Amino acid sequence: MLDFSILTTNMDSFLEGLKITIIASLIALLGSFILGTLLAVMRIAPFKPLNWLGTAYVEFIRNIPVLVIVFFAYLAGNFGGMTAGTIGLTIYTAAFIAEAIRAGIMSVPRGQMEAARSTGLTYGQAMRMVILPQAIKIVIPPLGNQFINLVKNSSLLAVVAGGDLMYQGDLISAKTYVTFDTYVFVALFYLILTIPLSLGVGYLEKRLARSH
Amino acid sequence: MIVFNQVNKFYGDFQVLKDINLTIKQGEVVVVIGPSGSGKSTLLRCINHLETISDGTLTVNGISVGDKKTDINKLRRNIGMVFQHFYLYPHKTVLENITLAPMKALGQSEKEAKETARLYLDKVGILDKAESYPSQLSGGQQQRVAIARGLAMKPEIMLFDEPTSALDPEMIGEVLDVMKTLAREGMTMVVVTHEMGFAREVADRIVFMDAGKILEEAVPAEFYENPREERARLFLSRILNH
Repeated sequence: MLDFSILTTNMDSFLEGLKITIIASLIALLGSFILGTLLAVMRIAPFKPLNWLGTAYVEFIRNIPVLVIVFFAYLAGNFGGMTAGTIGLTIYTAAFIAEAIRAGIMSVPRGQMEAARSTGLTYGQAMRMVILPQAIKIVIPPLGNQFINLVKNSSLLAVVAGGDLMYQGDLISAKTYVTFDTYVFVALFYLILTIPLSLGVGYLEKRLARSH
Repeated sequence: MIVFNQVNKFYGDFQVLKDINLTIKQGEVVVVIGPSGSGKSTLLRCINHLETISDGTLTVNGISVGDKKTDINKLRRNIGMVFQHFYLYPHKTVLENITLAPMKALGQSEKEAKETARLYLDKVGILDKAESYPSQLSGGQQQRVAIARGLAMKPEIMLFDEPTSALDPEMIGEVLDVMKTLAREGMTMVVVTHEMGFAREVADRIVFMDAGKILEEAVPAEFYENPREERARLFLSRILNH
């Protein structure tokens, strides 16, 4: 039977960790969405050096464990654990989001770009006003999945003392010696976040499938 | 106005356009016909630089199309284009489809752009669909919106790349009617099409292409009554007698 006193006596710590996990995930989502969009456009822009740069980033970052990237972010700057962890997560997730957005852009018919360019819009205008709004629709479900991964990966903040849910779990288990039960509660808190997200993504997928 | 001078184009080793010499004057309606893969669409797409030429020169109003110093966006504002598959922006209303380029490329105010858009929507006969989305329109209606989108930039030249090939047979007439009106009003038009009736009635000149070359140029009456080239004769007999 689970020792619920672990939960009740340490509720403040759990909630503090939950808050940090949510904040770090949201910031990393926003950051990696912006960076990922930029990278995706770089990879398909009609300018070779940008393509190479974008490809190099994606291939490099995707093939390094996220734990190592978080460590590097921590060691590279004079940041606190939460900031370093969030930066590491952003750098890592951006590579995956870039690929999702690139796939979205590629799935927009080439004629859309040609039609927009033929009216005298610049490449940037056509991309921003015609291609990306269509691509985003296609990309929302995979983006949702990336966000769920992001929430789970944010547990790596614990290794750089980021103050997140996993880190609070570490502290509580070290303090109480009740390791198993503590991490069960940690897992439950993660589920509180990820299950609604997962259902939300499923709902969006269904709705978008119907609108096309 | 549009001058091809010894234009060649290659895709790798494959030559799509061979020694093209063609001059299109202001107000002229030129219909390009020929079997598929003959380079008709490529020829058309070179004019607004959707395709680049490999050598020779191509000028529009005396401006070299492929030149690095040419502001291609400025040039394109003067050349409207209509595609086989319309390519309306699905996330924008009919009105927004038409006002986008005038607002962003010409810097028109939203009010001015909307007024112009309504004018052209009325001209193509679907003003009542201004607030609809493209997916709510029939193919013929979508293509007419695409024509209005091109016209809203007030271009001197309109390019049509098989504008009726993707339409239900019943919708072809309404699109051709709009194109005929444009031609009558003196628009410079280059049209790639298989609509022989339209070509015969509206074209000032027929350009017949095969295997990347222009084989014959003639006024419609001459071309249809008595084509000089054997290949053109064969092509005509196949598409007129099926």
